Amino acid sequence: MISFFLKRLLLLIPVFLAVSMVIFMIVHLVPGDPIDNLVQINSSPEQKAALAAKYGLDKPLYHQYAIWLGNALTGDLGNAIILRRPVADLIAQNLPHSLSLGALALLFSTIVGIASGALAAIYKDSWIDRTTMTLILLGSTVPSFWLGLLLIMLFAVQLGWFPVSGARSWDALILPVLTIGLGGVALVARVTRVAMMETARKDFVMMLHAKGVPPWQIELRHVLRHALLPVVTILSLRIGWILGGAVTVEFVFARPGLGSLLITSLNQRDYPVVQGALLMLAIAVMLGTLLGDIIQAAMDPRVRERIK
Amino acid sequence: MRHFTKTHLLAGSMLASASLLALASTAGAQEATFVVSAQNVGTPSYNPISGTQLNDAITLIFDRMVIQDADQSFHGQLATEWESAPDGMSWTFKLRPGVTFHDGEPFNADTIVWWIPQFADTENAFMTDAIESVEVIDDLTVKFVMKNPDPNLLSNMSSGFMSIPSPKAFDELGDDFGVTAAVGSGPYKLESFTVGQETVLVANEDYAWASDLSENQGAPHIKTLTFREISEDSTAFLELSTGGVDMLYSVPTDFLPRLEAEDSVQVGTMPGTGLFYIPINTTVEPFNDIKVREAAAFAINQQEILDNLYGGVGSVANTFLIDSLLSANVDSALKISYDPDRSNAVLDEAGWAMGSDGVREKDGTRLQVALWTQNGTEFKRVTEVVQAQLKAIGIGADITVFDSATINDQYRKGTDHQLAVRSYSWANADIIDWFFSGQRLGYPNVSMWNDATAEEMNAAAMKGSRTWEERVANFTTYHEYVLSQFVFAPIYQPVQIYAYSKDAISVPETVRGTRLQSQTVVDITVN
Repeated sequence: MISFFLKRLLLLIPVFLAVSMVIFMIVHLVPGDPIDNLVQINSSPEQKAALAAKYGLDKPLYHQYAIWLGNALTGDLGNAIILRRPVADLIAQNLPHSLSLGALALLFSTIVGIASGALAAIYKDSWIDRTTMTLILLGSTVPSFWLGLLLIMLFAVQLGWFPVSGARSWDALILPVLTIGLGGVALVARVTRVAMMETARKDFVMMLHAKGVPPWQIELRHVLRHALLPVVTILSLRIGWILGGAVTVEFVFARPGLGSLLITSLNQRDYPVVQGALLMLAIAVMLGTLLGDIIQAAMDPRVRERIK
Repeated sequence: MRHFTKTHLLAGSMLASASLLALASTAGAQEATFVVSAQNVGTPSYNPISGTQLNDAITLIFDRMVIQDADQSFHGQLATEWESAPDGMSWTFKLRPGVTFHDGEPFNADTIVWWIPQFADTENAFMTDAIESVEVIDDLTVKFVMKNPDPNLLSNMSSGFMSIPSPKAFDELGDDFGVTAAVGSGPYKLESFTVGQETVLVANEDYAWASDLSENQGAPHIKTLTFREISEDSTAFLELSTGGVDMLYSVPTDFLPRLEAEDSVQVGTMPGTGLFYIPINTTVEPFNDIKVREAAAFAINQQEILDNLYGGVGSVANTFLIDSLLSANVDSALKISYDPDRSNAVLDEAGWAMGSDGVREKDGTRLQVALWTQNGTEFKRVTEVVQAQLKAIGIGADITVFDSATINDQYRKGTDHQLAVRSYSWANADIIDWFFSGQRLGYPNVSMWNDATAEEMNAAAMKGSRTWEERVANFTTYHEYVLSQFVFAPIYQPVQIYAYSKDAISVPETVRGTRLQSQTVVDITVN
């Protein structure tokens, strides 16, 4: 198991390098100049050139990349050009908000998704199945930006249960979690439902039925357990999606987080912050996938065999 | 013991709720939450000297030497009197006695001697460019010795960028000033600042030096004032309508009907500081012909845009300057105001004949041009109407929408663009210099206009004016010349709209100043 983990970890190094290079290139090749946002009406070209030199923006791109990567490996993500703070500080300030939002949304997707998927599978083709799946389909096809506003209208404006926006109290987290989580519920529920129905047709299940094990026990203890493997795979791939979803959701709900930081910095072409935030998101996705792999391997010996 | 508990608990909780209620009403009497203008979301710091963008709360933390009323007249804040020498080569300021910074440091002539040189080598250096040196006359009197006359000095000094920080705190904090702490002498002290999220201010109870523009001459009525940053206008609107916040500093015009429908919300307007216009690239075909520029300029139906897109809120623009500036008072014959007959006549005269599909032609070339704009609903809507209005006189326009961070780079190329829909926000006539000086072709001079006569007039207006009256006259002449060359088409002047919860706070009916600033905020009371 440990060698499996180490191998997986080693595989991440080339991925990390490739991702960091792509991030750096994309950020720098997008038209727009942070210096423009930094200077006042009335400043001279000389002042602008001096500023470009101060932030190293006058050097060739490959040189800038080498410096950035070298520093990033030591934990120094540079200083924000517009926000004028160390990027690492900005990320440290915002990351916990995104992580708690993402983790809760993932948890919500997992619990509600598996529960409704299992319900739909057990009561296959009944009204329960159809109603659950229709509701879930509706929830997943609504864009999160709009869904967020809808939830605000219903739960914050009409019912007054939760605050409209911000991050000043714990209950301000509920609507954002629902907004991101509902999209995941659909996927998890569908995968659970299909996997359970497939497992239900397997020989060992028939055997259990023949042995007279109560149906609910078969469904919950045996079928669901076997069906969880593809669900874990989907969930680990979902981590990146959820963090991506946090970008728009943090914007709508005016919450702190990597998403709001990314949008603000992107609009101002604050390269170091955009790079740092994207790198952090990429690392989170990579670690999420790794975690998924490990859980899968722990659950299924065949996966461990394959990597050997 | 146990049998006491229930009664005690009951009595205790009643007492607690009663005192909580009392606390809530007193706390309610002292606290308020405002939302900053969406354009100020993400403002990085409260450092007025090096900052290039300032948050709405800046004038609450710091005081300025002078401040402006809505009619642009100057009123003393940290200066009580001021006088310029007849030749404009020196200014004398008398300072207000008894002023202290939040850190207890005194404000006096030494503060000013320290303060002015801080602007050197910053983005805001142009504000104090004309000042050669500062001399101390006595503890509360300073004299600015000028390199050249600068009648715009008072206007600069009333800007948020010329807010005065505590020298001690400024020097001690260095780059962290405005980021981790900000120390001024204003009606509020900065308690905490989380960039992109919120700024918490607490009342400066020692404050006793409000200007004559405020009724309240003591400490502000609101004791804890939070400024939240919300980028999404719909979210800010919903926060106001549910009582989550008490005031929005800026509301887009299209939210007006919805806000007015809310019983608890009061909407206020004040003159704007911005203007929408179409720069015309004077160096490319067909707009290198002044007749085609004239035709395009007079094709814009400003009233139609005001009525249909903005529901009549705001005003039409017929010059390059906002109405409140004195240099906007130009010869009325030079104002650019919708006249399709004139457009059609000059195009006919220039040889552009109407084609069968409604687009004019000349020597086999169609009068089809590029019309640029930036993303955002408002820009897109205005640009679509402009496209239709140009079509009405036979100019076909193809719209390209750019990302707002990218479009300036595109302008810099200088040869690709023809027409564009843009806007600016600036309450000083020197904006003409910024957008039309031959020194800055491409961007900001999107019109690519480089004209010898204009450059002479520019020099006279920018550097050659000794007094305020002379400056106004010089800028008016320059402005009139710019108008006569049709290097742009004016469209619309927005108003500033703010909204607040009537139940929560009371705001003075008239806003003092050109924006919502300390002079008005200290008078706001919590209901």
